[in-house]
Amino acid sequence: MSEIQLKNISRHELEQCLKCSICTVYCPVSAVEPKYPGPKHSGPDLMRYRIKDAAFFNENLKMCLNCKRCEVACPNDVKVGDIIQEARIKYSTHTPSLRDRMLANTDFVGTMATMVAPVVNFSLGLKPAKTVLHTVMGIDKHRTFPSYSRQKFETWFKKEAEEQQKQFTRFVSYFHGCYVNYNYPQLGKDLVKIMNACNYGVHLLEKEKCCGVALIANGLSAQAKRQGTVNLKSMRRSIENRDEAIVTTSSTCTFTMRDEYKHLLELDNADVRDSLMLATRFLHTLITAGKIRLAFKKDYRKKVAYHSACHMERLGWIVYSTELMRMVPGLDLIMLESQCCGIAGTYGFKKENYERSQQIGATLFDHINEVDPDCVSTDCETCKWQIEMSTKYKVINPISLIAEALDVEETRRLNTVHEADKPRMQGDLAMP
Amino acid sequence: MKFDTIIIGGGLSGMTCAAMLAKNGQKVALVTAGQSCLHFNSGSIELLGFQEGKVVERPFEGIAQLNEAHPYRKIKTEKLTVYAEEARTLLAEAGLKMKGNAEKNHFRLSPIGTTIPAWLTLEDLITLETTAELNGKKLLLANVEGFLDWPTAYLSDSLSAMGANVKTASFTTEALAFARKSPTEMRAINIAKYLDKAQNMADAAREINRLGKGFDLVLLPAVLGLAHDNIDLLRKAVEMPIECVATMPPSVPGIRIENKLRGFLGQHGAVVLNSDTVNNGFFEGDKLTAITTEKLEETRLEANQYVLATGSFLSGGLVSDYQTITEPALHLEVEAHESRTQWTSEYLFDEQPYMAFGVKTTDDFHPMKDGKTVTNLYAIGSVLSGNSGIKQATGTGVSMLTAIAVAHNILNQ
Repeated sequence: MSEIQLKNISRHELEQCLKCSICTVYCPVSAVEPKYPGPKHSGPDLMRYRIKDAAFFNENLKMCLNCKRCEVACPNDVKVGDIIQEARIKYSTHTPSLRDRMLANTDFVGTMATMVAPVVNFSLGLKPAKTVLHTVMGIDKHRTFPSYSRQKFETWFKKEAEEQQKQFTRFVSYFHGCYVNYNYPQLGKDLVKIMNACNYGVHLLEKEKCCGVALIANGLSAQAKRQGTVNLKSMRRSIENRDEAIVTTSSTCTFTMRDEYKHLLELDNADVRDSLMLATRFLHTLITAGKIRLAFKKDYRKKVAYHSACHMERLGWIVYSTELMRMVPGLDLIMLESQCCGIAGTYGFKKENYERSQQIGATLFDHINEVDPDCVSTDCETCKWQIEMSTKYKVINPISLIAEALDVEETRRLNTVHEADKPRMQGDLAMP
Repeated sequence: MKFDTIIIGGGLSGMTCAAMLAKNGQKVALVTAGQSCLHFNSGSIELLGFQEGKVVERPFEGIAQLNEAHPYRKIKTEKLTVYAEEARTLLAEAGLKMKGNAEKNHFRLSPIGTTIPAWLTLEDLITLETTAELNGKKLLLANVEGFLDWPTAYLSDSLSAMGANVKTASFTTEALAFARKSPTEMRAINIAKYLDKAQNMADAAREINRLGKGFDLVLLPAVLGLAHDNIDLLRKAVEMPIECVATMPPSVPGIRIENKLRGFLGQHGAVVLNSDTVNNGFFEGDKLTAITTEKLEETRLEANQYVLATGSFLSGGLVSDYQTITEPALHLEVEAHESRTQWTSEYLFDEQPYMAFGVKTTDDFHPMKDGKTVTNLYAIGSVLSGNSGIKQATGTGVSMLTAIAVAHNILNQ
């Protein structure tokens, strides 16, 4: 390349936009909401004006879901979504409301709620409480709050699992995220079960904070940056301790910490980024390298419809989760057409977004009903809430499906072969 | 990760090849960087439209006259008609209703009303056997109020020049007026999303009936049938004959072709890696042994056969700087004039030499790397050299037929 072309680099590839409008075809918001100016206009078009004068910033940009489907569609790799989110961070004068702060602080609210989980779950389900949330707080009354667990995942781990981890010689660190910690510890337990069966121990991070995705979305990026700094420091410690990877079970947390930290929060994560990955990717990579083997129950049967979560699509990692599930004999995997379910984290909880959120997901829900699976599977917890609220189907993370289908005894036996037996096993290790 | 065949590039050519292989039981992966040029396609597939500036009536006769370096000439003459039929079958299996025949071209209408020879055209779009066909007819151009990507003044002029008696009117409905609230997003695709709902379509039919009284034919912008083939519903609900004319892109008919082929791939278990780019190829002897991509990082993707279908300059299959033209995915040999002054012709509408630049291949579509033929790699579609797709109106035909030729080659091994 000539030198002048090498210098043709713009922030978020702004200058690479050809104005082809392909991104607008895939924007779930502009299809249902004409007040939203669409990704091309909100992003690269208006950015040129905003650079000159901040007055060109339009608060309607908050309607952007940050689903990144514009970036997935862009043939020229323009970071359309990043341009929009950065504009919100830089130019928005909107002060986050109490509601936004509460929705965004999943950590704080989660800790408080798990302490009194039965009361919270009971009262959040009550009509009067929903009415108060709806009218006073602006949290839509149609929403079902994910219920809070009585016991945090971290508490369970320290009590029930930490001691057993000492028997292993190789480890991963697990970034469990808020959802596993406060709402659904079972997913974390499922991961520990799989890793232990594969002869891997699990560590928690020295200190884990919420990844910050909801903070960024709600205009609290300074706080997100502080939390990100804590997370990165803990991850560095794990790498120093020779944990083989920092694994996750949430596509959105993963995407946020790998990409948004760098692109939106300007945190330098280069030294941990390669080690941070979804557990499905870690497992798939070990299996194809012949380093671990999984054995599955002979009688396992399930028809599973896979929903491609937006940030999973953006990561480009759907293939790890789906190929892993395809290894399970008896698991019949059907790919749903890739589209946004409409919830986008805290977005769909807000009264002003509820209707739009449901319109966006409508064709996905129709498709699921047509397929009529035993369950839906997706790597994102907020998609799970949305799909479970909007259809009659249960939504299960791929890791939980693998754990359910796993023949634990046999898997443990396959992965704890004595050193002396190893050469004989070699030919046997390749996966189909 | 192991596959039977890996296709690099998710446009018409890559999807056609992947579909042919997947429907014959192969485990296929398709790597695609963003959405394809089908978003600019007006709903037609062409074989050969122009030769030396003249309209071609019988494409196979014209193909026999093309020079030896043209991709069509690398396919055996007797196979061309067979593959053309297979292409048509594939499109039908994917759920696309198309009209036209390979023996004789018809004309399609561009968004500004120029007539362009084509082989297959989606059933809801207007086609003409001769330009005299509209002579003396009363036509109504019925546009959606506020929709700017359908240049009715140009269309009206072009159709009047063919002897038609043309009137222009616009209509709106509750849903279309709602969509119009957005000055930037009132596009064909968003209108199509509203019209996919039965009630909105019924409202539109009522307005078209009102405007279309007394006309021989009503022409609508192609803003129908994104999720469902709803032109049939509209035809039932409207009293006079209706046809659609392609709009400026993003084009609904082109996106429908994309969606249906993608759906077909999904049904046949092909693995599609969206929004990903091949960044390295590992070669051993005369073979490609693995590739890696930007998103999957260290994960090696392995296959017995590989197909390069990355398109031309617009799609990033070819890249130019100020001195050279390169193929960026696998660094294969490219055929192009060495002197930059010979890349372009001075007059924009003359044949532009750079458009025929591309990857050099053998007669079996194997490309070369460092002077050697790569025997388990093929190149298909617009990345191939020797084809001036726009000037000859051959782009989509070359994409589909070279894809099918290579699919047969792979399946016969």
